[in-house]
Order: sequence, then C-alpha cells, then structure tokens
Amino acid sequence: MNLASLLSKERINLELKPGKKEEIIKDLVYSIKKGSDAELIVSTLLKREELGSTGIGKSIAIPHCRSLAVEKLEISVGRTTKPINFNAIDKKPVSLIFLIIAPPQDPGNQYLITLGKIVQIAKEMTKKNLIQKPQTPEEFITLINKIEKDIGKRK
Amino acid sequence: MSDVIEMHLKLLFDLDTLLADLEEPVYKKIGFKIGDTERMALLGRRSDLLKKLPREIAEVYEMLKKRYQQAIAPVENGFCFGCFQQLPTQLLTRSKEVTTCPNCGRILYWREK
Ligand SMILES: [Zn+2]
Repeated sequence: MNLASLLSKERINLELKPGKKEEIIKDLVYSIKKGSDAELIVSTLLKREELGSTGIGKSIAIPHCRSLAVEKLEISVGRTTKPINFNAIDKKPVSLIFLIIAPPQDPGNQYLITLGKIVQIAKEMTKKNLIQKPQTPEEFITLINKIEKDIGKRK
Repeated sequence: MSDVIEMHLKLLFDLDTLLADLEEPVYKKIGFKIGDTERMALLGRRSDLLKKLPREIAEVYEMLKKRYQQAIAPVENGFCFGCFQQLPTQLLTRSKEVTTCPNCGRILYWREK
C-alpha cells in the first residue's frame, strides 16, 4: 500500500500553530478522533515519547502508537509556521510532524511497514530540502507520492 | 463497564501494545532510540495502572494477557475481533459491566461511534 493513499488533505495542516509538544500532538490527534478516544490516543502517544523522542532529527518528528481507539491505520500531518521544541534526538527544533496511529490488530504488519516508509521518505525530504516546498495539502500528497516512487525505483 | 474502569483498561492495553512493539524486529530496524531507564519508568507506570483497577479485573486482564498477549478485543460488526466468532445478540451493544467473549474469554471493547 502506498503512503500517499493513506493521506487525506483534510488531515494535512501546513499552517499548524506552534506550541508545546503536547499541544501539537493533541491538535494532530483531534483531526482524527474526538472525545475519550482522542484522550486515550494522546495519552499513549505521550507515553511513547517518554521512551525517547520521536523527533528523528533534521526538523522531523514521527509520533506513533497503536491504540484500541482506531480501527484502521490513521495518519495526520502538520507543518508548524515556526519550528517547535520536540526534544528531538539532534536537539534541534521540529517543523514537520507525521502522526501515525494503528489498531492493535494489524494483519500484514501494515503499521510498522508504513512507519519505516515514513522515516525513509522524511529523511529524503530533509536531504533534498523539500520540507517547506509544498504550499497546499494537494501539493504535499503529490510530493510524497513522487518521493515514494523515486525510492521504489532505486531498490 | 464503568467509564473509569474502561479508561484504565484501555490505557493499560495501549501501554502493553506499545511495550510489545518495542520487541518487534521490524520496529527495532526502523531505528528509534529507546532509553532503558525510560522503559523501566514506563513499566512502573504500568503497575500503577494495574493497581487502579479492581483486583478481580486486574487478575483477569493479566491472565488473558499471558494467554493471548492482547487481553482486550474490539467488537466489530457483531464479531469478537480476538477470535472472530459472532457474538450473541445480547452482547452487541456496550455493557456497563466488564464483559468477556463467551468463546475466547477476551475482554470485549465497543468502540465509540
Ligand atoms: Zn472472542
């Protein structure tokens, strides 16, 4: 399954208001779920962050977890208007956040495969200096699609 | 089940899934750095969550986790998503009690719609 097909433009916010790590995570979760489901997901994502930041460096963070609150893989994306502190491993601020939530039962391990793929695509985006390039959610999806295809060709 | 018990059970379950994924070779290969101290701290949080549950529920949860790894199964389209058996009609809606699947014994969870 390609990553672009898991993205929807309603869940890509390229003008995310800067804030604390928790607030950013909450904002991105609320575009997927509301109420006590959202509360559960946020709590689990923050527990994952306690193990070590998912800020993988070079201004990208990929908070992720499985949760009972979702029935399929859900992704939301945010790009903050100003870089934020995410306790990233390179200690540098973060501006692009991919948030991934998967159901506990996940045939074919789609979750971990997608997570690996996002890490790969994100690294490519920083390498080629593409983080700030897309101006609309549509352009963002097109860009992801292109990077994913390019990576595929290299294999 | 009561809202508080349900939330604690769900938090515990999500935490257990998180801890289980850390052992997955595919996950390790992705290369996120996990701190050992932090992991121990999270295990401590797990015991705290377990203590917040009524004892008999905590015991059932731990027993099921040993047996199946995942102690809770969502209900979807009238099926237990743990054993994929159809549930009797009286179990098709959310109950106030902690309810287990009559077939596999997993704790059933109805998602919010
Ligand atoms: Zn069952």
